[in-house]
Amino acid sequence: MEKAFEIQKQVRDNAKALQTYMTDLQNWEAEMKRKEAALNGEFEQDLPPVRSKVKKERPVVVKKKPEKKIKGSDYSSWDKYDVDKACEEVDMQDIGPSSLDSKKSHLAKLEKLREEAQYEKERGNTFVKQEKWDDAISCYNRAIELVRDDAIYYANRGLCFLKKDSLHLAESDCSEAIRLDPTYVKAYQRRATARERLGSLRAASHDLNEVLKLEPHNNSARKQLDAIKARMGTKGAKSKSSPSSTPTVESKPLTKPSQPKIVELPTESKLVSADDQWRNGTGESVMVIKPVKKPPHLRSKRPLKSIPIQEIQLGKTTPEKPPTRLKIIEIDEQTQTHGDSNNNDSNKIADAPKNTKGEGDVASPESVKLVTDGVVKEKDAKTLVPPTNSVQFMSEWKYLKGQWDARCEYLSIIEPSKIPSIFANALESDVLSDVLRILHDNTPRFAGRVAAYLAQLSNVKRFSALAMFLSPSDKEMLTKLLDHCKAVENTNEDVIADLKNKYEL
Amino acid sequence: MEELETPQIITHIEHNINHSIFDCKWIPCSAKFVVIGSLPKGSGTLEVFEITSGEIRKIKEIERPNSFKCGTFGASSDVERRLATGDFKGTLEIWDLEKSCQVYITKEHTDIINSIDGLGGNIVNCGAPEIVTGSRDGTVKVWDPRQRGKPVANMQPMKGETKRDCWAVSFGNSFNDSERIVVAGYDNGDLKMFDLRTMSLRWECNLKNGVCSTEFDRKDIPMNKLVATTLEGKFHVFDVRTQNPTKGFAQVLDNASKSGTIWVARHVPQNRDIFLTCAGNGQVSLWKYEYPEHRYVVDNQGVSSGVPGKLRRLQRMVISTQPINALDWNRDHLGLAVATAYDQYVRILVTTKLNLQ
Repeated sequence: MEKAFEIQKQVRDNAKALQTYMTDLQNWEAEMKRKEAALNGEFEQDLPPVRSKVKKERPVVVKKKPEKKIKGSDYSSWDKYDVDKACEEVDMQDIGPSSLDSKKSHLAKLEKLREEAQYEKERGNTFVKQEKWDDAISCYNRAIELVRDDAIYYANRGLCFLKKDSLHLAESDCSEAIRLDPTYVKAYQRRATARERLGSLRAASHDLNEVLKLEPHNNSARKQLDAIKARMGTKGAKSKSSPSSTPTVESKPLTKPSQPKIVELPTESKLVSADDQWRNGTGESVMVIKPVKKPPHLRSKRPLKSIPIQEIQLGKTTPEKPPTRLKIIEIDEQTQTHGDSNNNDSNKIADAPKNTKGEGDVASPESVKLVTDGVVKEKDAKTLVPPTNSVQFMSEWKYLKGQWDARCEYLSIIEPSKIPSIFANALESDVLSDVLRILHDNTPRFAGRVAAYLAQLSNVKRFSALAMFLSPSDKEMLTKLLDHCKAVENTNEDVIADLKNKYEL
Repeated sequence: MEELETPQIITHIEHNINHSIFDCKWIPCSAKFVVIGSLPKGSGTLEVFEITSGEIRKIKEIERPNSFKCGTFGASSDVERRLATGDFKGTLEIWDLEKSCQVYITKEHTDIINSIDGLGGNIVNCGAPEIVTGSRDGTVKVWDPRQRGKPVANMQPMKGETKRDCWAVSFGNSFNDSERIVVAGYDNGDLKMFDLRTMSLRWECNLKNGVCSTEFDRKDIPMNKLVATTLEGKFHVFDVRTQNPTKGFAQVLDNASKSGTIWVARHVPQNRDIFLTCAGNGQVSLWKYEYPEHRYVVDNQGVSSGVPGKLRRLQRMVISTQPINALDWNRDHLGLAVATAYDQYVRILVTTKLNLQ
């Protein structure tokens, strides 16, 4: 019976224990959730170093080789001794190589200081609200000690001084704040108040004017200014005569506003004029070309042109020669636009002596050609070399573009028999037509060789394709040339027939 | 007839999970736990559950291509609470469970990581945060989460020695910043004790059966007791305070219970002399180690040797039909534990009256 009781008790106890356990568990669950929510935060811990790095992280002592001491008697060594370098080294040791790391930590330190100063400021502000000026001032003092370049701390301390009637201190604090932040309205206002109470009305009104400049709708500043003006009106003469109002303070603001009035314009204008003089080139025999500024929509839309640069020997820069640059451009245009129509003319004039030169002739292409041809000829006669391949030929050909005489010259120095090997398969139809034209126009210069040229040209690879693209004018020239061959060069009838066939006439 | 203060073991909550589960860990400072397992298709899962008034609620699930095997919060602070996991391919990962992302990943093991343990995350002055992993490739590696990629220590068999499958690893003896010991158990019954301070093998013995689990009763004190569980229902408790140069450590062997493999033994965090063993037949047993009158004796040559204590079984309970492969006591609440078993159930166990022991 007793045993049964005991068992019953046991069961009851166990059930009770479990029940309490379960309620505990539930409470714990709730608590855990609350705790967990509060856990979210940074966790910093001072941890021992990583195992494998323990040995490495021992401070590495760099054993510097002790520098050799130079004996006093060793004069030759002392002669070599670089004093400047040694001094520099010593200096560098003091500074130490500034690494990024130290910079970073420096920034972090600054950030921390700033935070601390901010905290002090907040404390100071609360003291201000409680009108505990002395406590507030000590807070701001600490903030300023931590961070010296924040206008707010000075301005706030200034306010406290103002409230304590330490007017001079207030004024200097506000001045410091304004120095740090010239747009700090409150600092101006506080300084104005301080100055007003110090009796320096003009300086105060000056400060208030500054305020109104920064904040035109600042009513309190306006009212204060009006009041000061009224006082100045009544007191103006008096304050001047009376030495009682602090003279030092009075004199300071008096000079201060006057300072900015000294405008340095005259000196500046002088400087500028000197500069201008130089720029305009006055007093020098130089024509100054001024840059032309045009809005984009007014600028020329013509594409820029490439300008061949000619080598002119140093001594030969003859001033009477017109600036050929312009001329060449004009010729390009002419040849491009007018095409073949004026070839004959130019040819004629080329032989004529140079009779025209100067800027005025730009408009007439013939005269221009004459001039340039003259210029180029001088050089070409010396420099022209028969080409060995098509690349050489083409570069020279292009260079002589527009200078028909020179091209003719160039063509004449090419041995007709070499034409197929020079061109290989790179003869182009426009080059061919140019060549034909030259042959046609300058038949006398190729005396007796025209047929040979034509025959060799027709031997160039893939000539049949080129022949198909010959223009009617080209063909006309060709027939004339062939006639010439028949009449003057006594070329064989068969050859002519063959050429006719090849040129598809 | 049970005594009045006998603890009871009760399955508080049972929750079926439809895939294999290998490990479970309480998330520190919370009523949540992580269950580590693998899906039938071979991918690994991390699931976060919360217990709320008798119910288990899943909060989060992370799936990865490789099956996870084990995990620990030991090397992470209570604020960060980062889970270190080992998977079937030998990858060690550290997870930020809040953001569900890895913060550390390295694959230095060539085979499955069987066991993992961590230390140093939340207890100050007990050394660096470190993770130890034991793998089938025969190596035991120690990691520091601050060092990426490479282990800070690597214990592997000498060239020519056969590589044994490492089944169990655990930390201990970390009572200051320099001292630390790793114990590793192998499939052939080898139990090795590595000293991380001197980087040497301090002691080894063979337990005849493969070592499934090892644990010091406390990790952050001068090592006191060590439990090693083996196949065939045996487990050894070593008194590791006193090491005899010839005999080694004194030990108690329990082989009375015919319960199959003892998969895991875990000490109650609030009472280092009580531990729970989980057996292959689904039985959990609560044991108490009773110290002898004198823990060591000094022989006539002045050499001290340890004296084994006694084991007393406080309670046992079959809670599963399949082996219980993992168990974790809650650090913050006495008597609360989570266990996973091969019957794909996760269980919240409640043990009462532990405070009376």
